[in-house]
Amino acid sequence: MSQPAQASLTRLEEIVGGAHVFTGPAELAPRQVDDMSPSAVVRPADAAQISEVIRFAIAEKLAVIPCGGCTKLGIGSPPVRYDIALDLTRMNRVLSYDPRDLTLGVEPGARIEDLLRVLAEHKQFLPLAVPFSDRATIGGIAAANSSSPLRHSYGGVRDFCLGMEFVTGDGTVAKSGGRVVKNVTGYDLHKLLIGSLGTLAVITRLNFRTFPLPQAHGTFVASFSEAETAFGFCRDIAHSVLTPQIVEVADPGAAHFLFSGQTPARITPQQWSVVISASGQPSVVDRHARELGHMAVAANADEFVRLTDEEHSSVLARIREFPRLVLEAAPTAMIFRIGILPTAMAPLLTRLHQLAAQNNLEFAALTRATGIVYAAFLPEEGTPTPFAVLASTSSVIFQVCSEKTGQAMIEWCPAKVKRATGGVWGPARQDSALMQRVKNVFDPQSILSPGRFAGGI
Amino acid sequence: MQPKLIRELIALLGPKAVLSQPEDLMLYEYDGSVELGSPECVVFPGSARDVAEIVRLANRYETPIVGRGAGTGLSGGAISRNGGIVIVFSRMNRILEIDAANLRAVVQPGVVNLDLSRAVEHLGLYFAPDPSSQKSCTIGGNVSENSGGPHTLAYGVTANHVTGLELVLPDGEITRIGGKIIETPGYDLDGLLVGSEGTLALVSEITVRLSRKPEAVKTLLAVYDTLDDTTESVVDITVRAITPAACEMLDGFTLRAVEDYVHAGFPKDCAAVLLIEVEGLIETVEAQAAEITEVCKLHHAREVRVARDDRERDLLWKGRKNAFGALGRLSPMYYVQDGVIPRTRLPETLRCIEEVALKYDLQIGNIFHAGDGNLHPLILFDERDREQFQRVVAAGGEIMRHCVAVGGALTGEHGVGMEKNELMPLMFTPEDLALMQRVRAAFNPAGRLNPGKVLPLGKACGEIRVQPLPVSTTAPA
Repeated sequence: MSQPAQASLTRLEEIVGGAHVFTGPAELAPRQVDDMSPSAVVRPADAAQISEVIRFAIAEKLAVIPCGGCTKLGIGSPPVRYDIALDLTRMNRVLSYDPRDLTLGVEPGARIEDLLRVLAEHKQFLPLAVPFSDRATIGGIAAANSSSPLRHSYGGVRDFCLGMEFVTGDGTVAKSGGRVVKNVTGYDLHKLLIGSLGTLAVITRLNFRTFPLPQAHGTFVASFSEAETAFGFCRDIAHSVLTPQIVEVADPGAAHFLFSGQTPARITPQQWSVVISASGQPSVVDRHARELGHMAVAANADEFVRLTDEEHSSVLARIREFPRLVLEAAPTAMIFRIGILPTAMAPLLTRLHQLAAQNNLEFAALTRATGIVYAAFLPEEGTPTPFAVLASTSSVIFQVCSEKTGQAMIEWCPAKVKRATGGVWGPARQDSALMQRVKNVFDPQSILSPGRFAGGI
Repeated sequence: MQPKLIRELIALLGPKAVLSQPEDLMLYEYDGSVELGSPECVVFPGSARDVAEIVRLANRYETPIVGRGAGTGLSGGAISRNGGIVIVFSRMNRILEIDAANLRAVVQPGVVNLDLSRAVEHLGLYFAPDPSSQKSCTIGGNVSENSGGPHTLAYGVTANHVTGLELVLPDGEITRIGGKIIETPGYDLDGLLVGSEGTLALVSEITVRLSRKPEAVKTLLAVYDTLDDTTESVVDITVRAITPAACEMLDGFTLRAVEDYVHAGFPKDCAAVLLIEVEGLIETVEAQAAEITEVCKLHHAREVRVARDDRERDLLWKGRKNAFGALGRLSPMYYVQDGVIPRTRLPETLRCIEEVALKYDLQIGNIFHAGDGNLHPLILFDERDREQFQRVVAAGGEIMRHCVAVGGALTGEHGVGMEKNELMPLMFTPEDLALMQRVRAAFNPAGRLNPGKVLPLGKACGEIRVQPLPVSTTAPA
């Protein structure tokens, strides 16, 4: 549909209504995926319309990429085909919210910020402190399995998503899971959709358990001169009886993003900063303040400070928005998301620091102490983007991650780098054949986000 | 079964690891459910390679295969519906690695759930999923069924604690999904496999998350004179967003049976009790216990007792965990249900169960994971009374329909198995079920792995059709 045939547009308009099909550049541009532009933006109202659009796409051999706030379209490999942007922002309703039962059912286009506002009225929340929070939609957050610092205590989307409804790549309207907090009836197909980048199905409803907002919170920063001691402190926390809500480690590069501007003057951004948040009853927060302070001294921290409420909000927002802050500072930055064991974190980061220095790249890494590293490689300020260097460095980084038993992917990088590297998903894994089988079941014609996923799926 | 297949299995595993005499097979005809089915052969592999070879042989002889751990399951997941080979994982019971620094353990599927917690106890760690059968059930079985337990309320089910699996696929290929790290790029195959009830692949190794033991634990027993007050307390605890580690309910009928059996100190003259546990920092525990006591008192609890020490706490839990067994003393047989409801619908659901018991003239004991709305009504019966059993089935169906009608689910932790597969259309459309069937076929194309489970038989094309088996005449273990 490089030049959208009028007949095709007419048919799409019949399905979703004339007011909901767009072909103007103002609508197409924000829905570009890497360097590819769709030919039309289609805004369906419900699952039935999505099913019809998909059936039409199959008949016409068109490729469809679902989108919401368009904040994460840069994640994944460049699509091999792209015709229709399936914009889900019309589907933004809260379908059921039972605050008494702490369960929620929503459409995919609901913005996380709006959802959090609705939940806050009942002193509840979803533990999703994810980047681009002013625009990100709940469907996109699930489809990209966006990472949140709250994962430390609440787990990821898979741990509190109770079920989903969706439309598969053959137009089938289906569901799995349910709406209750405990359920093992049938296969948990919705878990496959979390992190699938729209390659299996279009999500049309998500059910979650919600959580009570804690009464009180306290945020602390311990600074260390060495990576090893900073991560040692994190392991001490993990093996203590304390129950922090968030434990994040910012290297000196990341500290620059977290603490500049309204930097609490007491924090030295040149150091390794461990940011810990505790929440619950005030007595619980006080206990954390006391014991973390003692533990930090014992772990040879240079400083240990408790943030004011204002600083707490600012620092946590910056932790949440870390990838966005990096991309705003350097749009051509390359950001890896690396799953890694706590004991391998310090050696991995030391090695990545060396690699960055060798290639004249700036480096910033924010680490979730439970096992996820966000490692950003930025061109040095004022220099043109060294695309070839980023591309060649990326293959070394994948190798280093494998050596440290990590699992890496490039979450963000310029399309040019993506095309020059062996792919953003890293080396092929043992389970790629099984993933292909799953893809074939959900999307046999490969019309949903073709090529964006691992293994060329 | 072809004698040649048995000979080949013996050649592969040795004579001690293959059972084929009828008297030996009888032990594997049942599990903890009311279902029954006879395998033609039972084998005990010692390694993933053994499992792969068994699977290849089974393929060559076009014979069905069923994986089995300790056989404590409650939905017939580990029973062979129609002959074939049952693979018992009891020899594969080694803990392969304890990585305390990273809070992980790597285990073989035959490791008993509680044995893992015991092995890491000295490190201050434990494995969180705690099914009532944890003294005997295996982690492989927990993975198959996505098992829960009383403490699921705060810590989640098995799926929340598994990070990686080694699989033997139905074609004999050995592969790995996930690993030790918290998340790997790609589809969440672990999320699909855990709880797939042995219908997609056999699991030969499991990587689990270990949890840190809490600093403090407090166990409360709230005693009530009416069922409504009991259920309203649970609703109120939920509504106030207090999350205890466990919140269990036992009705008076069950309690009396339990007390006669374990002498845990439960009051025998009450309508119901709540057994509530709070865990965490001392400060959290104190505050939550006070709040919960207040809620229970508000709803007319006649007494809220706090276990004074570990001994008293263990005794209360012994009562809860042996409740099924206690009711088993009152009746030759029972049928346990596992429906889930939104927690706010607890009072009306309990009234519905009472009405069903009256309507069908049956005795029903109620043991609930009340905090997460997971019900275990136990319908007592005598299998020799065929007419009574018809009423049991009808009553069970009615309770299940009620659960689904109020927005709930058929099973919270026991699995669908061969017990509830024909009820799946209550929750899922033909399209939902067809998609699940296609996912199964993508892993298990010949339908040879655990046939006749999870999905309704009518929907499960490509798998061997069998008639539902007669009900067990054996009391569950």
